[in-house]
Amino acid sequence: MAHQAHAYHMVDPSPWPLTGAVGALLLTSGLAIWFHFHSITLMTLGLMLLFLTMYQWWRDIIREGTFQGHHTPPVQKGLRYGMILFITSEVFFFLGFFWAFYHSSLAPTPELGGCWPPTGVTTLDPFEVPLLNTAVLLASGVTVTWAHHSLMENNRKQAIQSLTLTILLGLYFTTLQATEYYEAPFTIADGVYGSTFFVATGFHGLHVIIGSSFLAICLLRQIQYHFTSEHHFGFEAAAWYWHFVDVVWLFLYVSIYWWGS
Amino acid sequence: MYYKVSGVTGKLTGASAASAYSPQGLKPAVPSQSPPMIFALPTKVVSEAGPAVHYMGINKVPDLQKIFQKADGAPVHLKRGVMDKMLYRTTMGLTIGGTLYCLMALYIAAQPRKPQ
Repeated sequence: MAHQAHAYHMVDPSPWPLTGAVGALLLTSGLAIWFHFHSITLMTLGLMLLFLTMYQWWRDIIREGTFQGHHTPPVQKGLRYGMILFITSEVFFFLGFFWAFYHSSLAPTPELGGCWPPTGVTTLDPFEVPLLNTAVLLASGVTVTWAHHSLMENNRKQAIQSLTLTILLGLYFTTLQATEYYEAPFTIADGVYGSTFFVATGFHGLHVIIGSSFLAICLLRQIQYHFTSEHHFGFEAAAWYWHFVDVVWLFLYVSIYWWGS
Repeated sequence: MYYKVSGVTGKLTGASAASAYSPQGLKPAVPSQSPPMIFALPTKVVSEAGPAVHYMGINKVPDLQKIFQKADGAPVHLKRGVMDKMLYRTTMGLTIGGTLYCLMALYIAAQPRKPQ
């Protein structure tokens, strides 16, 4: 390998940005083709391409960091900035849906009966499954912090156990929310109540699945000795993302489930 | 006011006259000096960790580091040889094929529909 007179990472040429971009093109065009011509081929192709891209791109980053040593302190700093900025963009994404909810619920139109919840909508009891979901996510926040401390103290067994517990709690949340969706007395088509409820909670659920997947990759990496007590940024990024998902749920719970009921 | 060293925090705290007249230094259970504060344990090296090391598999990272640091000029996405090449070719194949399929589908979709 050529010697460089700086601590930054000049990456090898990579095909994954191109394959990812094409994957996104195929996914979006495929959506349009699905809507108008009832064929899912293009969309499926796009999804497959995106998954292949994600797998290989992130695999390469692990290779570059863990096996080739390219993630020096300045490089890690850049990765930290990147993750913070990404999470910030996601905060703004959710802000939009909260704006939509408050726009409709603070001044309910006559079509809704001039009240919130709208006339005819039976809301979910916030003190039943939604409260359990809150407890589950808060507990998972504790277990992920436990995992972090175990990592920093080089306690391999406890790091694996607490990380596994975190993932299980995430899966439990997803299962509970799926049954709530199935049993709900209203649908996404039930006016603006249904729209705001299912779009906001639906995107949140998707982020829980993404976060759980990220943590699962970290678990696999921890089992394979990738992390050291001083250097485990992949795990920290996953933990930050998980805390973000937890905080979004708390806002959802207080605004839509509790105040909105 | 009487003082003692707290058995919980290791710091100076208030005490009753009774405990002041039975100095803590005489009791072996409670240290008269606070133990040194440990803010972070030193990084433990895996090779010194002993039998607990083999919990759920052995460490293959050093071997992988040797493989990926071989000076063979291969880019990181092809560093592992055949498997990498196969996966790359499949992905690229889907990319090029998919682009052509997409352009064709969009061209057909843009054609006006004949009224029935």
